Parts: sequence; C-alpha cells; structure tokens
Amino acid sequence: MMGSSVRQLVRQHSEIGILLIAILLVAFFSFSSFDKWANAYNLASIAQITATLGLLALGASLVMGTGEIDISVGSTFGIGALVYLGTVATIGPIPAMLLAATAGAGIGLLNGFLVTRFGISSLMLTLSTLLVFRGVAVALTEGFSFSVPYDQRSGFLYQLFGGGDFLGVNTAFWWLLLGLIVLMAFLYATPGGNRLLAVGGSVGTAHSRGIRVNRVKLRAFILCGILAALAGTLEGGKLGFADGGMGRLMELQAIAACVLGGCALLGGRVSLFGVVIGAFVLSSIQSFLVVNGVQPQWFMLLLGVIVVVAAISDRALRDWALRSR
Amino acid sequence: MSVTPMNKNAPLIEVRNLDLHFGAFHALKNVSVSFDSGQLIGLVGDNGAGKTTLIKVLSGIHKPNSGEVYFAGKRVKEFHPKLAIKFGIETIQQSVGLCDNLSIARNFYLGREPVKRWFGIPFLDFKKMRDASTKVIRTFGLRENVSADDQVEMLSGGERQSIKIGRAVEFKNRVVIMDEPTNHLSVREREHVNELAQQLRDQGLLVIYITHDIHQVHKLADRIVIMENGEKVTDVAKDEMTADELEEVIRCGGRVVDTSKEVEPS
Amino acid sequence: MITLNTSAFARRPDFGAIVGVIMMFAVFSLIDFSGWWSGSTLGNILQFTAILGCMSIGQAIVIMAKEIDLSVGSVYGLTGIAFITLEADLGVPGAIIAAMAIAGGIGFLQAMAVIKGKIPSMIVTLGGLFAVRGLIYVWTGGSVRSLPAESRAHWLTQLFGGELFGIEAAILWTAGLMVVLSLVIWRMKFGNRLLATGGDENTALSQGIRTDRVKIRAFVLCSLLAGFAAILTLADKPQTHVTLGDLMELEAIAAAVIGGCLLSGGRGSLLGAVLGAFIITGVRYELISLGAPASWYISFVGLVLIVALIFNQSLIRWAGNRA
Repeated sequence: MMGSSVRQLVRQHSEIGILLIAILLVAFFSFSSFDKWANAYNLASIAQITATLGLLALGASLVMGTGEIDISVGSTFGIGALVYLGTVATIGPIPAMLLAATAGAGIGLLNGFLVTRFGISSLMLTLSTLLVFRGVAVALTEGFSFSVPYDQRSGFLYQLFGGGDFLGVNTAFWWLLLGLIVLMAFLYATPGGNRLLAVGGSVGTAHSRGIRVNRVKLRAFILCGILAALAGTLEGGKLGFADGGMGRLMELQAIAACVLGGCALLGGRVSLFGVVIGAFVLSSIQSFLVVNGVQPQWFMLLLGVIVVVAAISDRALRDWALRSR
Repeated sequence: MSVTPMNKNAPLIEVRNLDLHFGAFHALKNVSVSFDSGQLIGLVGDNGAGKTTLIKVLSGIHKPNSGEVYFAGKRVKEFHPKLAIKFGIETIQQSVGLCDNLSIARNFYLGREPVKRWFGIPFLDFKKMRDASTKVIRTFGLRENVSADDQVEMLSGGERQSIKIGRAVEFKNRVVIMDEPTNHLSVREREHVNELAQQLRDQGLLVIYITHDIHQVHKLADRIVIMENGEKVTDVAKDEMTADELEEVIRCGGRVVDTSKEVEPS
Repeated sequence: MITLNTSAFARRPDFGAIVGVIMMFAVFSLIDFSGWWSGSTLGNILQFTAILGCMSIGQAIVIMAKEIDLSVGSVYGLTGIAFITLEADLGVPGAIIAAMAIAGGIGFLQAMAVIKGKIPSMIVTLGGLFAVRGLIYVWTGGSVRSLPAESRAHWLTQLFGGELFGIEAAILWTAGLMVVLSLVIWRMKFGNRLLATGGDENTALSQGIRTDRVKIRAFVLCSLLAGFAAILTLADKPQTHVTLGDLMELEAIAAAVIGGCLLSGGRGSLLGAVLGAFIITGVRYELISLGAPASWYISFVGLVLIVALIFNQSLIRWAGNRA
C-alpha cells in the first residue's frame, strides 16, 4: 500500500528525486565545510551561477520535451554574451539585450530548420553547430576586446541585466524566477505547451491529431536559442567581459540539469521546477569543489559521470514506478 | 476554413485513380471509390491489402503519388491531418491517437484545446477538458478509480480504445473512420462499440469500419468494400452477397469465383 | 551489361566517398597544382588520413550497429597519454598493452551503460567524452610529456611509428586493418550479425542473435581502434598534450558518414570511412595552405559534419525508396 502510493508520487512528480538529492547535498555541504560553503557571499554566488545555468537548462528542457536535443546552447550562450558586450556600450542595455536574443533566436532557427527540414539527428546536428558557433566566437574575439568600460557598468539598466544585485542577489536570479513562472504557465496551462509535450510523447499521435509537429519543434529550438542567449547576456553583464571560450562545458551542464531534474531524454516529460533544482545542484557541487580547493578539472570528470548516472537512474526509477499498474 | 458543399448530389468522399508507392511497395493501385453520408461502410481485406493505407490518405497522413480526392465535391489539394480534422473526418487508429505521457483530459482535446483568455493570453480551459473526458470515462464504463487527470499509460487497451471512440463521438464530425476498432476489446465492449458505430450512421454520419472479420461487419454495414493487394476488388451493397460468399472472395484473393465448384478448404 | 554494373557500383555505400575523392583530386590539382602533388604534402595528408581513418573504421563499425560513439577523441587522448606516462614504469611493450587495455575497458564500460542502463549511446558517450577528457586533465595536471630516446628506438615503437620502404607505418597498419576488418564484416558471422543488429534489431533478436553482445564487441572494437590510432600517432611523434584528440570524435563521425555509413544503421563501408577521413584531411590541409585562419578550423569541422549529415539523410531516403 505504502509502496504503491510512493510509486504514484514518483510517477506524477518526476522532480522528487532531484529535490531529495538537493536537500541531502545542502545538508552535507553545510556540515562538511560550513563556513566556507554556506556563507551569504557563497550562497549569493551559487544563486547567480544557478540563474544563468538554469535559464540555459530551461531552454534545453523545452527542446528535450519535444524529443529532440540541443547541445549547441553552450555556444549560443557565448555568442549571446559577446553580442551583448559588443554592443551595450554603443546602443544601451535594452537594445543590446534584444540584439543578443535575436542572435540566439537565429541560431535556434537554424538548428530547428535543419533538423525538421532534413530529418537529421538533432544531437549530431547541434553538436556541429556547437562547433560552428564556437569557432565564430573565437574568430570574433581575435583582435576585438569584448569588455565594458568600468564607468558604464553602474547604470540602472546595465545592473538590470546581470550587472548588479537586487535584494542581495544578482539580478539574474530574479530573471530566472520570472522565466520559470512564465515557462511553467506556458508549458502546463496553454495549448502550445500541451502540444509540445504531445510531440515528445508520440509524434505519430500528435501528427494524427492535426498538430504541425515540425512547427512545434522549430518553436522549441527558437525559444531555447533565445533563453541561451539571454543567459549569456546575464553572465556577460555580470563579468563585464567575455572571450571566445565563454560557455564551454555549459551545454553538458544544461543537459545534465535537465536529466537530473527529471526530464525524459526521449521527450514528453518536462519538469521545469526540477530543471532549476538540477541547475542548483550542479552549481552547488561546482562551488563546493572550488571552496575546498579541488582542481577545477575534477568537475569536468564528475560532470560526465553525473550525466550518465542521472540518465540511468532516471530510467530505472521510471521503470520501477510504472511496474505496478 | 469551412467546406461549403459545391454540389448537393456529390458524394461526401470520392476518390479517383489513387496510386501510392512506399519505395518499391505498391500500396494502392488505381483505387476509385466513393462514399455517401448516412452509410456504414465495411472496408475489408487481409493484412497488407491497402485498407489502412487508403484511410491514411483520407485522414491526411499519407499523400498519394497520383489520383484525386474529393470531399463534398471539392478537390483536396493538401494532405495533412489538420485539414482532415477541419473537414470533419475523425479517425480512430490502432496504434496512435493517445499520448501515453499526457493525462486523459489533455489527450481528449489534443490539437484543438479549448481556451480561456486571461489578459489576452490563451490558457487551457481545464474545467471543460476534465468535464468532457470524465463524461466519456463514465459512459464507456472505464474502471471506477480512473479519473480525467490520470496518465493514459495507466489504461488498458480496451480503455484506450473507448477514449478514442468517445472522443470521435463527442466532436461533431461528418465522417468517422474506425480502423479495427474492436481489436483489443472484451465481448461486451465490442458490442458497445458496434452499437455506437450504428448510432453514428443513424445520425447521418458516414462511418467507415475497417476489419478482417467479414461476419462481424456484415451485420452492421450497408455496403461492403473488399481490397486485395492494393486494389479494390469488390464493392457491393450488403444485400447482394452473403457473408459467406464475401469470405470466399477474400480467400481467393479477390478473384471472382464460381461458387458451384467450391473447393473445400483443407 | 555495362549499365547494370554501373548501377551496382553506384549503389555501393562508399560510392559517394569514391566520387568525392576523385573530385577532390581534380579540384585541388587545378587550384594548387604544385603544392598538392608535392611529396611532403601528400605524405602528410596520407599519414593523418591513416590515423583518422583508423578511428573512423571503429566509428563505422559502431554506426553499423545503429549506435554512436562520441568518446573516441577523448579515448584517443587518454590512450596516448597512458602510453607515454606508463612507459617510464612498464617499458614500451607493457605500456602499449596497458594503454590498449584502458581503451578497451572504457569501451566496455560505455557499452554496459548503454545496454544495462538502457539509455541512448549518444548520451553515454557524450558523458564519456567529458569524463575521459576530465580524467586526462586530472591525471596529467596539464603538463606535456615526451618519450625518452631509447624508447623511441625500441623495435615496437619502430613497428608502429617507423617507415617501411619509405611509407609511414601508420598507413600500412590502417590499410591492413581495413582489409582484415572488411573481411570480418563481409565474410564472417560477426559481420552478418552486426549488420542485422543495426538494420533490424528485433529481427536479429528473433533469430537468436545476442544483439547486446554484438554491440558490446562493436563498442570495445571502436575504443581499441581509437586507442591504436593514438599509439600510431605517438610512436611516430612522441609528444603529447592534454588536448590530444580534441574534436577528433566529430571528424571520425564525419568521415564514417561521408564514407556511406547510414546513421540509421545496417549499412556502411570501412573503405568509405577511410576515404572519408582522406577527404576531411585533404580539405583541411588545402584550407590551411590557402591561408585560412586557424581559429576557423573548429567551425570548419562543424560545417563538414552538417553537410555530411544532410548528405547522409538524403542517402537514407534515397536508399529507402529503392529498397
């Protein structure tokens, strides 16, 4: 009786696993290195990393929800930051932010178009565009300096996009909250969200119900590109400068956050709340390694393992939850 | 987009010289057939005979290589399930129709979700979605503990089929195509489905009922169309031939047989 | 009769790659005649082709089984670094055996994650790509190592990195491996089962083929070949770096795809994979000699892969229409 109700809970709330992990990790980190990890400064910095990674992962989770995958978000993130930083001094923060979002939308459109038009595996394709735009970012930063002069980093609008704090936390965090609420309303309470999940659940069924599958996928890719570029904007705004390597490894972190958060890799199941918690867990681990003076390269090794372990345990958990009908 | 009948006398659906290839496989060979409102058509044939392919063309899933399709006298130029649904063609298929990952209520209106606007933003009308699907759950005798918010993956095969048929009944359609609708159902559920098919016909709809079982459909149908190897081989009113005679036609691969020299099947 | 043979030839999986190689020779001879045909250029291109080709053969085998291995670039790097690092303690033969064992072990681990964990190989090997690269950084601490002179002169090092009749050993090894493995694929039971597993797994299962074993073998073989490619590289130029093999997984996939391996499984050619590697290496060399900036190289690999993917998908549709 007890078991079946737990199964029911797991079946309907895929984010439960990551929530438990998050609580345990916070407890462990707080006890094992209390003053180094759980101080206000470090927590605020974790909130900022969670915010940019979270926005990136939210976009990636929408694409994952349609049954595709977008690995190119790391480069889109970098391009977003470069576009914002390259133009903010001349045209002001809001137009620069819009320009960065447009660039992100363009990359998303390209990905979505190539995937839906030619039926290419989205993982392979976005892996290629990841490289293409990484190369573009490196080429752009050769000879150009992408940094904002200090005297221009104080305006209210500049602070609005990651360049300052609000209520003691970087503004990026409030953007993440806003993004989470808007996307949750979209995904769970509008026809567009319903169709997105239907496409991921069963393309054949979605098609037979008159849903334009390719259009739904294309929109998810565009939305993902915009969110990745916005995340890049917020990161760029915080740092005030960027190089061509910005956003490296972010794609894998985003995918890891999605899988950790209880999104099905093959689509149809998205937990936006879980994704944000997943981003928090990854940021916490990263910060834990940093404050304890562990080589940052360990994080790369850990990240690869986390992705695989998260995917396997997600699969096992679902199988277990579905076993009793 | 609404279809205005061009010609009152035109058949509701007319198909002329339809051809469809899948690679080297010739799925439909020069098929011509027409269907009128208020009829229950039994579309019969063996596996691979082309009956499912034919209805996939009618429901907009496949585009024919050549040939014409007319709906209410109007030529159909673009093939997409969305247009078929707009024309009022509802298809109940064997394998697709419900997304396992969504709740029953979300599946019910999939593709034409009812909305309530808040500040101009179209939000899903959950109350309407729940009410309509709960009604179907109750009338079709699904398990007591099934609710509209349950995931479809919890349902049995028969329950899924009931939801699909209930959905076809709920929307005011002109054509209901049933592809092997009783395949996974219990005897009681099967009778219920067959009654529903006849009710739809009596309401003036065109019902196309696809099955292997000639005896079952012969009791229901007004007309029987038999397909074999992608071709239409027989198209008769129910009274013209008995179920046994039709079965003989199917067994002999559609060739006209002389029933006087019947060979006993071993 | 002639038309029949032509169409049979055109239906070979590696047809596109053969045409591509001929076109590349023609175009580059016209653009840059003296540079392209000079002995050192062609020799360099062939040696890099041999190394990338060795890796592409493994990738082609995995793709034929309808899986993919994104980790080969990192496995290549790790094997190379293991060879050089372990050589100090184990000597040349021991280091080669240990390095190859590491490569095979990684392939086996990934295969088990794919089969027992029931998750897509793309995700497993994407995780592997980063985990193994991370392992390289953690192990070496980022420092560059080299092989001492007496080890370079060791007969085994010479066997893999020396020359025979003026031909680089790597070229001979890859050519030999290609012939042997092609025979295994087209003339032996394993090959038949591999193609059946990739083409239609359910049918293969229903005929009693243990598709999981076939896939494990394919993954292990792929990692071993990636590791062997690293040994071929380092036996010749025994200096390494933590970024050794970066991006090579994508080049290897592009080579296999250009060579006619369908990502939908069950169809492919090892000769095509090697020719695909030749095309990629050739185009890269030509771009560099024409003065393209080095930072464009990353974008170039991405673009090549996109073109290869579109080409491959069109081929799948074309093949589907003729089946």
